[in-house]
Amino acid sequence: MKQIRINLVKLLKGYASGWVGISSDFKSVLVSGKNLKEAREKARKIKKKVYFFPAGESYGNFVGKI
Amino acid sequence: MTIKYSPLPDIKSRVVLAPLIPVTFINGQYEFPTLALVDSGATGAIISTIIAEDLHINWREIPTNLGFSVGANLRSHRFNNLYAEISNNKFQLTVGIIEGIAPYKCILGQADIFQRAKITFQGFKKQFEIIFREFN
Repeated sequence: MKQIRINLVKLLKGYASGWVGISSDFKSVLVSGKNLKEAREKARKIKKKVYFFPAGESYGNFVGKI
Repeated sequence: MTIKYSPLPDIKSRVVLAPLIPVTFINGQYEFPTLALVDSGATGAIISTIIAEDLHINWREIPTNLGFSVGANLRSHRFNNLYAEISNNKFQLTVGIIEGIAPYKCILGQADIFQRAKITFQGFKKQFEIIFREFN
């Protein structure tokens, strides 16, 4: 069975802000930009799918916690 | 398909684990691949206005609804003609475009992904399993 692992702690390390483009195997950041538009522009040359996600956020309230 | 809960950076060097799934949102010719939270407690899908704008959805022209969540009241704009593609499974969904939320906020819930797939959360293994239903 196919298994997917996405470790955003590792992937986003070193990116303090902006947006990143993550490879389709979720092992590396292929592009980054100070905003989504810039990251999009850089990713245009890449043939494979790039997943976009913002960097430098505190994601705790994504899932909710106390 | 099994997906490990994703470690996410949090404040004060804490790490939170979240059931995230790779998804591509499609609005006509525009596509936005990202990672969405699979939330069994969410009524339906939501996206941020930043994601909506990247998908060329003119959310300001969609009438505003008032809603609420655990943390706050919110202003949302309902968009019915979005598609989502997950691991070669494509389906139409309605999303709430929420004003003022963090740009990464993107959630799939009961009205969409839970109608299309059997999803088993295995917190003890820090993973979830998703099996899409087959439609003729």
